[in-house]
Amino acid sequence: MFRTLVLKEIHNHILSFRFVVTSLLLLIVVPATVLVLTNDYVRQLDDYSRRQVEIERYLERYAHFNRLGNIVQPTQPPVPFMTLIRGLSADVDMSAFDNDPLPVVFPLLDLTFIVAILFSLAALVFTYDSVSGEREDGTLKLMLANGLPRAKILLGKIVGGMATLLIPFLISTAVGLFIILLNPRVDWKGADFGALGGIFLGIVVYLGLFTALGTLISTRHRSSASSIMTSLFVWVLAVLVVPNLSPYAASFLRPAPSSTKVNREVFRLTQDERDVLGRRLSGEKTAAVLKDHPVLAGIERMSEKDIKNTMMKDPLFAKAYSVYRKAGQEGWDEANAMQSAKAKVLQDDLDRKEKAQTGLAILLSMASPLADFTYLATDLSNTGMRNQRQFRALSGGWNQAYWKYSERRMDELKKANPTADVWNIAADVHDMPRFAYKEEDLAGRLKGTLPAFAVLAGLALAAFWGAYFSFRGYDAR
Amino acid sequence: MIGTIVKKEISANLLSYKFFVVILLASVLIFTSLFVMARDYKARLADYQINKPAVGDATAVLPPNPLSILAKGLDESMARSIGVNVTGFDVQSGQKSGNVVYAFFPAPDFVYVVKLVMSLVALLFGFDQISREKENGTLKLMLANSVSRASLMAGKWIGNYLSLAVPFTLVTLLGIALIGLDPAIRLSAGHLGRLALLMALSLVYIALFLSLGLLVSALTQRSASSLVVLLFLWAGLVFILPNLGTLLARQIVTVPSTKALSEKRQQIWTSEILMVYSKNGEWNGQAWNERRISMNREFDRLEEDYRRQAARLVRLSKTINRISPAAGFIYAATDIAGTGIGEDNRLKQDIIRYKNQILADLIGEKRPYPAFRYQYRPMGQVLAEGALIDIAWLLAAVILVFGAGASVLKRYDVR
Repeated sequence: MFRTLVLKEIHNHILSFRFVVTSLLLLIVVPATVLVLTNDYVRQLDDYSRRQVEIERYLERYAHFNRLGNIVQPTQPPVPFMTLIRGLSADVDMSAFDNDPLPVVFPLLDLTFIVAILFSLAALVFTYDSVSGEREDGTLKLMLANGLPRAKILLGKIVGGMATLLIPFLISTAVGLFIILLNPRVDWKGADFGALGGIFLGIVVYLGLFTALGTLISTRHRSSASSIMTSLFVWVLAVLVVPNLSPYAASFLRPAPSSTKVNREVFRLTQDERDVLGRRLSGEKTAAVLKDHPVLAGIERMSEKDIKNTMMKDPLFAKAYSVYRKAGQEGWDEANAMQSAKAKVLQDDLDRKEKAQTGLAILLSMASPLADFTYLATDLSNTGMRNQRQFRALSGGWNQAYWKYSERRMDELKKANPTADVWNIAADVHDMPRFAYKEEDLAGRLKGTLPAFAVLAGLALAAFWGAYFSFRGYDAR
Repeated sequence: MIGTIVKKEISANLLSYKFFVVILLASVLIFTSLFVMARDYKARLADYQINKPAVGDATAVLPPNPLSILAKGLDESMARSIGVNVTGFDVQSGQKSGNVVYAFFPAPDFVYVVKLVMSLVALLFGFDQISREKENGTLKLMLANSVSRASLMAGKWIGNYLSLAVPFTLVTLLGIALIGLDPAIRLSAGHLGRLALLMALSLVYIALFLSLGLLVSALTQRSASSLVVLLFLWAGLVFILPNLGTLLARQIVTVPSTKALSEKRQQIWTSEILMVYSKNGEWNGQAWNERRISMNREFDRLEEDYRRQAARLVRLSKTINRISPAAGFIYAATDIAGTGIGEDNRLKQDIIRYKNQILADLIGEKRPYPAFRYQYRPMGQVLAEGALIDIAWLLAAVILVFGAGASVLKRYDVR
């Protein structure tokens, strides 16, 4: 019986006008997007390898330690999944003067966007009249008169609706995948297919959520005209409003100090104020030394040269002078330590508050299925927040290796040529550690996306239960 | 006769569930958006007070634009603090928040609400005007009276437009008035003029979608199918076309990444420094100053090349995107607010000109440097440089779509 119900739904939908429109739209938009994104990915790949070659060329000819760090900054190579999903890699680079204004005005189109916006809208359009429409047509009465349990009818409707929507989607994505895999420049690995599987699971749950939601809304209304209004109202809030407002709401609820202000304050503490304090502390300490060592009298007025000469002649002076120098340095060290501690408090406070704010923003946005799906898809495809963290960790590791290497190399250069300015002479750096980007392994990604997946599944279940209870009490007349 | 139809439409709307839901949604969204973006503006204004260059600094910083509350556009990029030196620009990007969630979703400003939500709302007002009346059988009755189909269409259009535009205008004006009460947000007479134009543009944009709703309603026999067509049409026009257009333009014009540009600049620096050192083993200040001038020229050439390509890309994707009224609306709205691509481009050119103007001072380190000043393009120029085309195209689309709707209704089978 259940099969009949599902088949009936699928038949109804497949013959409907909205199915034709949805299928056409998906069949055009998904392959077109994939085609364009794949070409764009290949371009980025070319740009990246050209840049790497250029860097190596420079290292060969002009490497010197003064500017080496500016040349070999770690950069993120394009990942093969960017043929489907762009995520944060499409974010605008604000650090360059010539930044590209277009993505700010119109965010790029990718699979996440198509699913999150078009697919959810399609799911609601398919289901808004599933109950109220059948009541209006009078078929709901007939169906119930057959002694069918309501739970079965409802489940049949939801499963049928989902299946009908998944068919054109799967076909269009298969065409898209075909385009990707046919391109010899795109190298998808096993983990990518695993991640794609995870994303598909997310898509199914996301679709199930909106199908159940549409059915729930349909059971709350007598007429399909008003159920579409409510559906669109809910859709606008969940998809277009809640995620966009969440970071602003979080900044209101968990304010963080402005980073501009903190940076300015840190600069003042560790530069201007440090100088004043350092001068005072080292003055106090050296004054004490001067009192204990009368041999140093008049040292403030002596030139470097005089001091050097006197030290050669007078060992007592030399000894006292080293105490004096040490006291002065101690004063400055103390000032540095005190001021950096103060700056660290500010910096830590900013970091902590920004982290708390980001956490809250993520939490708030997760009320929206669109945000859940976006986090899930971008994290699984290595274009999201997890990848940012991964990249930062790898950069940190590379930085340490780089510093160790440069210290060792400079020591070697100094040994070979003691009078040379080792910062500014040409250096052979062919054995320098190169930054190597590595994608996070699939298991870690899957584990990391569990919360988003759980919320999505929870929302879907809640919508389903809501629909069930609401349908149980639905007046079919 | 039209008057009666208008009155009937308005009273029917006022009593409907649709009207209630839609106006509630629009009001809540517009108020929330204005409140949230005003807070964002004030935070950026406070940052500007800290970043403001001291007298004699060669730094270009614009205060945030108060109209960015309604149309944020590129304002965050335009209000960056950009230090100018001999060999280029030192961009302080630290003003951006560490909160990564901002990067995922576009800013919910007034223009965003109008572009997405108000257009959807306008469609919902129009989608069942003809087909629903047919389904209910009232269309026959109406046409049995001596009313022409053209005036029926006009009456329906005016009645629905008024019941949508009047609450929308009132809510927006109230929101802007509330913002205007905030002493931190100073709106000049020029800003108010731009606001009025922005409001008018939004009303034209809404009118287009209402006409589109009426047209499709007259093309279909059932209101359910009219809605489906309209929703997908809307998604295509508002989401897909403008975003795909930007990607499509990128297929045609190749622009090197900005990353490649900045890396190149670092590389040239590096080789130059090594060369100045190795000539006589010691730092040569005279040679360095000369090299800095030639480096400046080399960087300018590199960037000019990049900028020419980037400008082509922007022009092309603007042209492609104009197929979608949503893109035209965004271009015109951000241009009017002074946060658009045209203004950003002008600002960048001015900063480059400023750098070249004070180049001699910079090399000789002759402080104090003259301050950077920027004048937003006057309204006339904004209109002449593109906004007028967008507005005219939107208006033409409204007339075309309405005309098409009226002519389709002439042949509509009312049975």
